[in-house]
Amino acid sequence: MTIIADVHSNAVVANIQPAEANLTVADSFKTELNTLVDEGYKYLVVSFDNVVYVDSSFLGALVSSLKYAISNKAEIVLSGLNKDIQNLFGLIRLDKAFKIYPTTTAALSAL
Amino acid sequence: MPPSKKILLVDDNPLVLEMMAKALSKEGFKCLKAISANAAMLVLKQHTPDVILSDYHMPDIDGFAFRQLLIDEPAYRDIPFMFLTSEADNQVMLAGVNMEAIDYILKDTPVPVIVTKINNFLTAVHEQHQRSVQELSRAASALNLHSVPKALPVVKDFEVDFWHKPFQDYPGGDFIDFIKVSERYTFIVLGDVMGKKWGAWFFSFGYLSYIRAAVRICIAEEDFSTKSILQKINNVIFHDPVVSDVLSSLSLVLIDADTAMVTYSGAGDLPLLHYDCNSKSLSKVQSSGMLLGLMQDGSFDEQTINLNAGDKLFMFTDGLIDYEDADGKKTDYALFESELSPYLSRPFAEFKQSEFISSIIAAHIDDCSLIYIEKT
Repeated sequence: MTIIADVHSNAVVANIQPAEANLTVADSFKTELNTLVDEGYKYLVVSFDNVVYVDSSFLGALVSSLKYAISNKAEIVLSGLNKDIQNLFGLIRLDKAFKIYPTTTAALSAL
Repeated sequence: MPPSKKILLVDDNPLVLEMMAKALSKEGFKCLKAISANAAMLVLKQHTPDVILSDYHMPDIDGFAFRQLLIDEPAYRDIPFMFLTSEADNQVMLAGVNMEAIDYILKDTPVPVIVTKINNFLTAVHEQHQRSVQELSRAASALNLHSVPKALPVVKDFEVDFWHKPFQDYPGGDFIDFIKVSERYTFIVLGDVMGKKWGAWFFSFGYLSYIRAAVRICIAEEDFSTKSILQKINNVIFHDPVVSDVLSSLSLVLIDADTAMVTYSGAGDLPLLHYDCNSKSLSKVQSSGMLLGLMQDGSFDEQTINLNAGDKLFMFTDGLIDYEDADGKKTDYALFESELSPYLSRPFAEFKQSEFISSIIAAHIDDCSLIYIEKT
């Protein structure tokens, strides 16, 4: 279980569990997130509250799920990125692909 | 590369835990400690040890039940497991070894013997791993599949060099190519398929083929725009179901040897670093393009950099900005900039021999690639 899903009335929050989001959890993360899209959720908040490091395999999985969500008319937004991860997203322009909120609450209230 | 030596010790007796950790740390092991099976499961969520050494007699969840929990979890099943216990009953020992444990060591075994057993095991695993990688690399080599070039391009008044280190010596997702079109024009390609090891390595060839084709088509059409090339590649990848699920970054540079102008476009890549020899300053060159295959419109742009004698450009992938300290792994672009700074007016060969590069090799967190371009 790479994410724990927290269902809200019109959204779902996917809390990433491992502190190190890397190759070993990338596939299960993608499968679990895509399953939430398949279950019909249209607004998915991926929470990075627990995450201290992401590698490119995990980012690949996240971006692949974003494409899957878009093709299913769903939206994936992110919350709780630490400073390093936020910087990395800026450097490689992923901050233009995802809406990023400081907290899960902010992400949910933006809906 | 020496074998990695990260060990998870599981024992309900804090004294045994401390004593073993102390003895193993002295031998170069990085020790993770857990006072129960439940605590060990929490450790495993954040760390992947090279071997687990667990007690048998523990309250709540004993060593066998713990081993069964690991066997039932695909992510943990293959982590080598040893019992270290005072339980000397033959039936229990046999049952333990039958649970896919690699060894069953009695606690009254002298510590140096325990350490040697673990060391021997990890060395054997490491050697086997190296042999497997070598065999696969030989097979790839026989098929003439290379994701990094075998030779450096010769470009008039420029020096082009690179440094590349695959993740744990597997061929990986980084790819480099030098496409010399004429004496005047040379394309420099640096990409990073998002993944590691064989899966990413396989796709790196798909991407390289697209890139080479796009470059050749643009040249045939006398279009030397790096932006046009990226748009063409992105368009094909976005619509190709085989590679569209695998994302890649790309830095594409065109050197015009006649004008000493360099044109650059990027797709989700790390900003290049540009050293201006005259002002002795280092600055980022950031493109606007998104990862290849992510969006139909990749928002690509094109930048032109005029290089004077002594000016340098550095193109690199994320393995160079990842490092690990006592608090875990981190990503820090600024750290790479500061480590590179003392070498800016020195030959590239010196940076390749630097302590920083040695530390990157030792940490082996991801594929690492660095391309160096100097106007001579």
